[in-house]
Amino acid sequence: MARQKPILIGISVLILVLLVGFPLLNTEHYLALSLLIMASSFFPFMISFAKKKVLSRELVVIAILAAIAAVSRVPFASIPSVQPTTFVIIISAIVLGPQSGFVVGTLAAIVSNLFLGQGPWTPWQMYAWGMIGLTAGLLGKTWIMQTRLGRCLFGFIVGIAFGWIMNLWVVISMIQELNWPAIITYYSTSLYFDLAHGISNVFFLWIFGSSWIKIIQRFKVKYGLFGTEG
Amino acid sequence: MVRGFRSFHPIILLLYYLFAMAALMLYQHPMFLALATVAILLMNFMLDGGLELRKWRAMILIMAVLTLVLTPFFNQRGNHLLFYLFEKQVYLEAIWQGVMISLTLVCILTLFLTFNLVITPDKFVFLFSKIMPQWALLTMLSLRFVPLLRKRLLEIGDVQSIKGFSLKTGSVKGRAQSGMLFLQTLLTWSLEESIQTADSMTARGYGLGKRSKYQPYYMKKRDWLAFAFLLVSGSLVLFGWWLGDGVLTLLPVLEPVWLSGREWLYWILFFMMIGFPIWTEGKEMVKWKFLRRIG
Repeated sequence: MARQKPILIGISVLILVLLVGFPLLNTEHYLALSLLIMASSFFPFMISFAKKKVLSRELVVIAILAAIAAVSRVPFASIPSVQPTTFVIIISAIVLGPQSGFVVGTLAAIVSNLFLGQGPWTPWQMYAWGMIGLTAGLLGKTWIMQTRLGRCLFGFIVGIAFGWIMNLWVVISMIQELNWPAIITYYSTSLYFDLAHGISNVFFLWIFGSSWIKIIQRFKVKYGLFGTEG
Repeated sequence: MVRGFRSFHPIILLLYYLFAMAALMLYQHPMFLALATVAILLMNFMLDGGLELRKWRAMILIMAVLTLVLTPFFNQRGNHLLFYLFEKQVYLEAIWQGVMISLTLVCILTLFLTFNLVITPDKFVFLFSKIMPQWALLTMLSLRFVPLLRKRLLEIGDVQSIKGFSLKTGSVKGRAQSGMLFLQTLLTWSLEESIQTADSMTARGYGLGKRSKYQPYYMKKRDWLAFAFLLVSGSLVLFGWWLGDGVLTLLPVLEPVWLSGREWLYWILFFMMIGFPIWTEGKEMVKWKFLRRIG
């Protein structure tokens, strides 16, 4: 039963989204539809973690990893648009599983914004990093995450996708009707930063991926944490 | 003691920001948005003398000007053709739209500057703990680790610099590599330490029963008054939007930009609501000046 409940909730949410989403799609409210999809894919995970009983050790480890992801910008302050936050989230997710990956990603966004200042971008960052953690965790056992090449590929795609999601808040607050030339222009102005993010992810994952995984894995085995999640 | 706008209950403050954001998104009219810009800029100056504003000035200006220029370029619909630019028509309607979008952007960004001044991290965590206690606890834990980890990073940096690893000099690749090495050291160090923190939490009874909360905020009479004010003015503002008074009709026929009749009423109501921090903050300032003169 405990395993089935999230699935049931997921299915009912999916049906709801389809019911509400179809008329929106028909009337070409694409932005409203994408917001709806984002919210319905995000909140179930937020809530399911809020309800979960977590060991104190696991809680603190998650908090530490998120804090590391947040402060990891500090040593890279001298290199513009290179920061390993995404890398830390991906690695944590691979070892600790999808739910913990999601929590680390979301928490890293909250914490770093509490220090750097909240903005309209906070929810988007929470979403983007949370989902990166979740997908990295879900793919954790497959060849994509188990081989170095697969990880780098994932890191590159995710780096670009992160920028695209972050652009959405501007698109949504600025562009009233869907206007492709405007959107493409806007996205092309951010392409340099997105590419830098993707490439630095590849660099970090290629050189440091295995050693970081080993460190966290060893730690997990040593203290017997996150046992059920794999 | 904190006085003025910042001393309200966090839920009241959150409510104000929700209403203000909604109003800014809905009221797409240059006259309304210009008023909001003035009000929010004034708010910034009242809260911290414009310190935050100065920090973000460049970024906000660039974004505003960019949208102002680019929108007419992409919006090719309208009746009042003004001129051609690079073989593209530029319409009056599109220019007004550019003005509105860039004013909205300025308003939202500057409103968030005050948000960071008003909703300090402790209030943020308090609000969070109302909805999701576990997330709030986690946020608190993580927040506490950030300064600690920074200190450790400095320490690691000091040691590593003796060994010749530097973040300041060398190629980008080299710097990135040593930065990552520092982080890796930080990871091993902090993970081991974290077990101690966790065990100390368990020793103090974490997870045994329902967690009690320290509640530093209570709803006082003035909070309820503020609540009533926001609710009434907020719903009136929403009603005005529903009537269409706060939206500039661009198509099919451009409405005159200058307000007329009932629209002025909603203009004032809109100002009353957006300017709520100005009234509460200003009251304190007036009091201060007045009392000083008497004394």
